[in-house]
Amino acid sequence: MSQDAVARPAARAAVSDTGVRWRLAERPFVWLAPLALLLVVTYVYPAIDVIRYSFTDATLLNPQYAYTADSYRSVATNPDLPGILWVTLLFVVASVILQLVLGLLVAMVLHRGVKRRLPGVAAVRIIILSAWIVPGVAAGIVWQLMFNEASYGFLNAMLRGAGISPVAWLSDPDIALWSAVIANVWRGTAFSMLLLYAGLVVIPSSLYEAASVDGATPLKQFWYITLPQLRPILLINTVLISIFTLNTFDLILPLTGGGPGRATEVLALYTYNAVFRNFDLSSGAVLAVLLLAISVVFTLIYVRLLPREL
Amino acid sequence: MTTLGRTRLADVGTYVAFGVICLFFAGPLLWLVSLSIRTSAEIYVSSINLWPNNPTLENYVAALNNPLFPTYLWNGLKLAVGGAFGAIFFAAPAAYALSRFRFRNKQLAMIGLLAVQMISPLVIMVPLYRYMDRIGLTDSHVGAMMLYIAIAAPLFTWMLKGFLDGIPRSLEEAAMIDGCTRFGAFMRVVLPLSLPGLTSAFVLNAILGWSQFIIPFILISKPNLLPIAVGIFNFQGTYSQTSTQTLAAASVISIVPAVVVFLVLQRFIIGALMSGAVKG
Repeated sequence: MSQDAVARPAARAAVSDTGVRWRLAERPFVWLAPLALLLVVTYVYPAIDVIRYSFTDATLLNPQYAYTADSYRSVATNPDLPGILWVTLLFVVASVILQLVLGLLVAMVLHRGVKRRLPGVAAVRIIILSAWIVPGVAAGIVWQLMFNEASYGFLNAMLRGAGISPVAWLSDPDIALWSAVIANVWRGTAFSMLLLYAGLVVIPSSLYEAASVDGATPLKQFWYITLPQLRPILLINTVLISIFTLNTFDLILPLTGGGPGRATEVLALYTYNAVFRNFDLSSGAVLAVLLLAISVVFTLIYVRLLPREL
Repeated sequence: MTTLGRTRLADVGTYVAFGVICLFFAGPLLWLVSLSIRTSAEIYVSSINLWPNNPTLENYVAALNNPLFPTYLWNGLKLAVGGAFGAIFFAAPAAYALSRFRFRNKQLAMIGLLAVQMISPLVIMVPLYRYMDRIGLTDSHVGAMMLYIAIAAPLFTWMLKGFLDGIPRSLEEAAMIDGCTRFGAFMRVVLPLSLPGLTSAFVLNAILGWSQFIIPFILISKPNLLPIAVGIFNFQGTYSQTSTQTLAAASVISIVPAVVVFLVLQRFIIGALMSGAVKG
């Protein structure tokens, strides 16, 4: 800061002849304006407009519409809604829990491997990250082929090989959602792993050394040192992947298309179908408002969890 | 048991865990590759040999010979690179301001950027589709690219701001004392110095653009304008029953560019991403 205080008047003197332009350049507003404008046009205004549309009877086909609150009533009383919300809740909660547990396990194994300088750690890391970077649609296709109940489905081929009767991974409504969770966890775990690994690295090793001297078992060290130290990152991680999972759409579409029946139709997919398949803009807007509200709540939690100084 | 013995045993355990992890994460991709090099006769053989008896590259030829497939790839590349490149013009000045200026509500601006990233593109697409349809920007790469840029810009800004924080101010201040305007110093000193950060953010956003599905899926209906992510989804609809092996080959082609680019640059990208996500 002290450098700044010295440099600024000097710079001011050097460029005083370009007065107005210079003064503009010293205003953060000018630098932020292009981005702010872009985000207002593409995010803020549409988000507000979604709320406005949610109070209309608009359809995608008819440009005329009237204002009404019936849209909320019709969405709320739609007999499909409880099922959709339940499926979404199960999908998000199961995915998040599994991703956190698996992400932590993988991060700890990798962390140990790096500490012990075991050969092959880099390769393992690369393999996990590859799954993360696979485009969502491709991941859906990959798992569609894994779960497929035709003979090229990998998992059933394995089961048959082991003499176990095949499972209807994608066509049994009671199983399809869990298959979708597995596919989602496959793709999402790397992100949790990355965050948690970054958290593990900064835990001071002196904590573990002191605990070992006191005779704490590895399990106790995990419970009383690792977990409490990772707490902030675990919380941030939970919030972030909850939102990511809530917005998941591209993975489910090629995997199950929301079926069988509505067994895997999560809120995002239901919203898409309402607007772009049934052209029911007002109901879709109500559902979009619901998605928006959930995102806002999670964002507020996330902001509370972040360190004060950004 | 001795300490050394116990450590060795734990090493063995670590490798067992490595094996399980690799099986779960690499297995599905290996199966995809395995299916992609099979003849149609071997697709329906119900044995789980990963390496087929008569491996063939015919399916890749078939996928690439589909009149639309190369167009999908080109469109995907164009939108991904164009979106990430366009985002620079919005993100770089904003990241500079957030890194260098002290102003009221800066905290709020940073939180706003975060909040925007939490909004599903689906939510904004509901009204945006209507506007864009009215002004003829559906079925156009201009309209789609504008949204690719808008989706990339917040993350881009966030990553670049973290990188700029690590560049000492003294360099641009020296340039300003020598008569450079602030904008001149930004262009000639700050941007060249932030090239590693710019590259990381560019590559990650281009990869995310390559995977982008919702925007083109909603906005574009003309097949010759679709990017690869929607292209393979349409492929799945047409090929899934008749030739799974071609679908597998097409999927491999769609995955490989993203994974290869990412793995080559992973250390930089992850460093830049983590500095934003964890440290804030």
